[in-house]
Amino acid sequence: MPGLTADSGNALVPLSPEAHVSVVYPLHHGLKPPISRLSISWSRGNALRVSVFRELPAESGDSDGEAGGKVVQVKLGVADGEVDDAQWRRIAYGSVSPFALLQSRRNSVLALSKMSMSSSPYHPDWWEYVMEYSKDISSLLDNAKSLPNSVIDDPKTVLKKVEEPTCLKAAWGLLEIFYADKESQAWLPEQIVDWLADYDILFSGTQATVHSKLVEFQKAIVRLQTIEDDPRYWEVITSALAVGWLEIVVKLLRLHGSYQLDQLSNRETENGLVEAVAILISKMPRMRPELEAGRLGECFKTKPDFIKAWEKWRAQITKLDCSSFWVQCDHRQTRDGLRNMLQVMLGNTNNLCTSTCHWIELYISHFLYVRPFTVGLESMHALAQKCIQLKPISSSHRLMGLIIGILGENTEVVLAECSRAFGPWMVAHAIELLTAGSDQAEIILQEERDNLGGISIEELHRLVYAQVLSSHALTWQIAPIYLTSCMKQGMGLLEVLLYKQPVQDNQMLLKTTEICRLYDLESISSSIMKIAGVYHWKHGRKGSGVFWLQQARDEFRLNRIAQQLFDFVGRSISDESFKQWEGLIELLGSESKIAGGLDFLHKYRDFKKSLQQVQVGKTTDAAQQAVESLISLMRNPSTPQRFWLPLLHDSLKLLSWQERPLLNVNQTNLLLNKLQELSMARLRPDFIEANLPPQALSSVRLALATNLGRAILEE
Amino acid sequence: MEKSLVTLDNGTTCSSWNYNGERLATGSVDGTLAIFDSIDPASSSFTCTSRSRVHEDSVVKVVWVPPEYGDAVGCICADGTLSLWEEVVEDAQPLQWKLCKSFGSNSNKVLDVQFGVSPTSLKMVIAYSDGHVKVYELLDPLELKSWQLQAEFQNASDSVSTFGKALCLSASVSWNPQRGESQQSSFVLGFHSDTPQLNSAKVWEFDQDHQRWLPVAELALHGDKGDQVFTVAWAPNIGRPYEVIAVATHKGIAIWHLGLNPDIDGRLSVERVALLSGHDGEVWQMEWDMSGMTLATTGGDGMVRLWQSNLNGVWHEQAALEPTS
Repeated sequence: MPGLTADSGNALVPLSPEAHVSVVYPLHHGLKPPISRLSISWSRGNALRVSVFRELPAESGDSDGEAGGKVVQVKLGVADGEVDDAQWRRIAYGSVSPFALLQSRRNSVLALSKMSMSSSPYHPDWWEYVMEYSKDISSLLDNAKSLPNSVIDDPKTVLKKVEEPTCLKAAWGLLEIFYADKESQAWLPEQIVDWLADYDILFSGTQATVHSKLVEFQKAIVRLQTIEDDPRYWEVITSALAVGWLEIVVKLLRLHGSYQLDQLSNRETENGLVEAVAILISKMPRMRPELEAGRLGECFKTKPDFIKAWEKWRAQITKLDCSSFWVQCDHRQTRDGLRNMLQVMLGNTNNLCTSTCHWIELYISHFLYVRPFTVGLESMHALAQKCIQLKPISSSHRLMGLIIGILGENTEVVLAECSRAFGPWMVAHAIELLTAGSDQAEIILQEERDNLGGISIEELHRLVYAQVLSSHALTWQIAPIYLTSCMKQGMGLLEVLLYKQPVQDNQMLLKTTEICRLYDLESISSSIMKIAGVYHWKHGRKGSGVFWLQQARDEFRLNRIAQQLFDFVGRSISDESFKQWEGLIELLGSESKIAGGLDFLHKYRDFKKSLQQVQVGKTTDAAQQAVESLISLMRNPSTPQRFWLPLLHDSLKLLSWQERPLLNVNQTNLLLNKLQELSMARLRPDFIEANLPPQALSSVRLALATNLGRAILEE
Repeated sequence: MEKSLVTLDNGTTCSSWNYNGERLATGSVDGTLAIFDSIDPASSSFTCTSRSRVHEDSVVKVVWVPPEYGDAVGCICADGTLSLWEEVVEDAQPLQWKLCKSFGSNSNKVLDVQFGVSPTSLKMVIAYSDGHVKVYELLDPLELKSWQLQAEFQNASDSVSTFGKALCLSASVSWNPQRGESQQSSFVLGFHSDTPQLNSAKVWEFDQDHQRWLPVAELALHGDKGDQVFTVAWAPNIGRPYEVIAVATHKGIAIWHLGLNPDIDGRLSVERVALLSGHDGEVWQMEWDMSGMTLATTGGDGMVRLWQSNLNGVWHEQAALEPTS
């Protein structure tokens, strides 16, 4: 990249010259060039949206039928195509509960150790929890598409077809072997032998492997008349032996022509030799606690027992190698083939090297036949280096990078490999295994770093993974589990994430606010409900708007709404509009504390109701009730002054009631005083004139005066 | 890897996604404001739901108003006018985009506008072509037409002296995205002008006690203070003990750390931690992701570049996207 090295001298932290070169990805937009400009925007999580604008054709306005631009979305840092999207989501969902369980166990263990003041922060059996976690995660990584198993055991099928493994599972398996499975540390080499047996197929894509050789030979096998005449037979057998696939080796040996009934008489010695090798192979001592049923070899749990058996076994091989029977074996290919196998079993490096395909296979063969006691990562690393020298890496495979990182005991390299090759899910989950691996790794991963803004590597990777989860509508709900496991910045990111959730749909909104409640995020919850309230209010759903603003306890906006209602009421009091805002008063009134002025609206509604009844029924009782409402409204200090005149004007009919004066002297005086006050107020500049006919004031005054006169007469 | 979301109209010049990425507003040469929505939430394709003619001149920038104040945008047009448009239902009329307010000016063009949310109000910063900055405050949270001018100043560290007749080509404003209750309103502002004193990016903070805006930091090294600024971007802070701000000049993209605690003079400590180059010339736009860990930029070389800091705190280009047909 031209930009990377330039100007580095100016920077406070100069970029090192060997700083990595960034990858340039094509971004297909499908537009006809030229492109005039780009615009970018981050969506939720790690999704980046790029708007691409096309330059206008020279003769402007003349459209050439092409679109004016495109917006394309790219998701960054998402792993390869080995696992499809649906499968990823299944893994993402499946790993939540093992992860959460492990976190809660860690918290309780930590709490316990704090109480007992013990020196070690972890339970001695902590790794058992980690192992359980690892097994749970591993079980998620099985490939969904499983191949049908043949019921009939065909003697010529040497390779059983199993479900195709994924690199992801293979990588997880490696981490488990090296970091989590403390119980099996003594049998580490044998574990790696098993690992390769399961996953050698994965390397076949980029290079030749023993597995691919076997697959090739399996295809040819049915067409072979005398199998032992074919050089491929011996080559494949020796290769399978070198990587320790003993069952396959013995099965192949038993296909040897000398076993056939019609051959026994003249090929007895030859058959004896083949069988002798087969027996030796099936009795190979293995330093491991057990083998699954059907697998060959003899298990030894302790080193002394194993060494004794191992030496005895090798002595038997040497003895057979020097035996005089070989001379009597007429079949040259059989003789050479079998003796070649003996050399492999005796650990002859040249033979091991020629019968294996890539360095990991060679490495495994060393464990089996040369240095079965190799322990300690340091010597394992040295051995790996030696194997890589003998079989240089022609095409690098992501699993190879991971193995080298693990053997090199460099936690950061292992993490970088995990991240580069398998993406954020892997790193976020693998860290649990790495921290269980050693105290040193734990320190490296959990130490808070200034360079990272005060968070640890562990937290960083959880944040990154949570961001990936956030970018998809189906996975964002599990991001909080990971964010809340982050001590420092998790809540901050969770707030941002929740704030960006859509509010238009009530179902979604309830879900989001429920998550807020769960994690005590009151202020963000109120922001979200505020947004929803304003959205509904502005989009004509006033009731929903008020409801959500109340939920948000947004007094500021609710007061404004109440104010708007006042204005509305002051402007028009026709019966239709009254119905419109009646519901709103009902809603607002349920929490009258929020807007004190709403008390007035309540009373006003009551007044309006009784006034309506007066209009309909004209009964004196109803009129009397309306007068009570009017008086109580006019007495109430919360009734805005600008409503006084409209109220009185509305009540003209009551003030000049035909049958008898409805207001007594005191009441009439009160209203007259208010009217007086109003006349004074009119002189002030900030007075708001009610939208009433000009003679309203005088007609009210006249009505009141008449009423007063009648009331005095009555009393 | 990429997925097409929207097909834009002919003559589209600018676009802007709303806060949650569910709506897109675009502006075009004929002064049209178009809104794109996802009709079916399950699908990820967007269709145009509204087209309104907002001006006779070309729209050059669209900016969304924070969602607490409704679905509204500010449109800056080529002639330097700014208008605020809002989607509302009024008096039994169907949903439509309505003009709330225009900020026209005969001599001074509006170069940039950005909205900032404070606990009690909405603030709007407008940068003008004469180097002046105006901060407006919304008076009524439900009405986007009632704005009050709160302050007017120039982007100079020394608030006393004034510079006459500045000519500015562009300006860039970025608010501190933090929405906390205790947070003071602050934003960063840089100009591309012929007056060196106004150019460098400066952080402005609202002084609540004295009700005024103060420059609390200048994001330029001593020799670079007159450098014209293409664009600025304030990163979200989810818990760092410092703020991160990106400033792009012709020298490259500078990443600045800004301290949180002011010294006796009220200034914030600044440190330039990286100077990144890659676009070979003008930087058009810079956007931080939601965690503030990745910076995406576009520029005159027609590329999208992504920048990150590694475990040692060293900033580097993580990847680049090259648009191709």
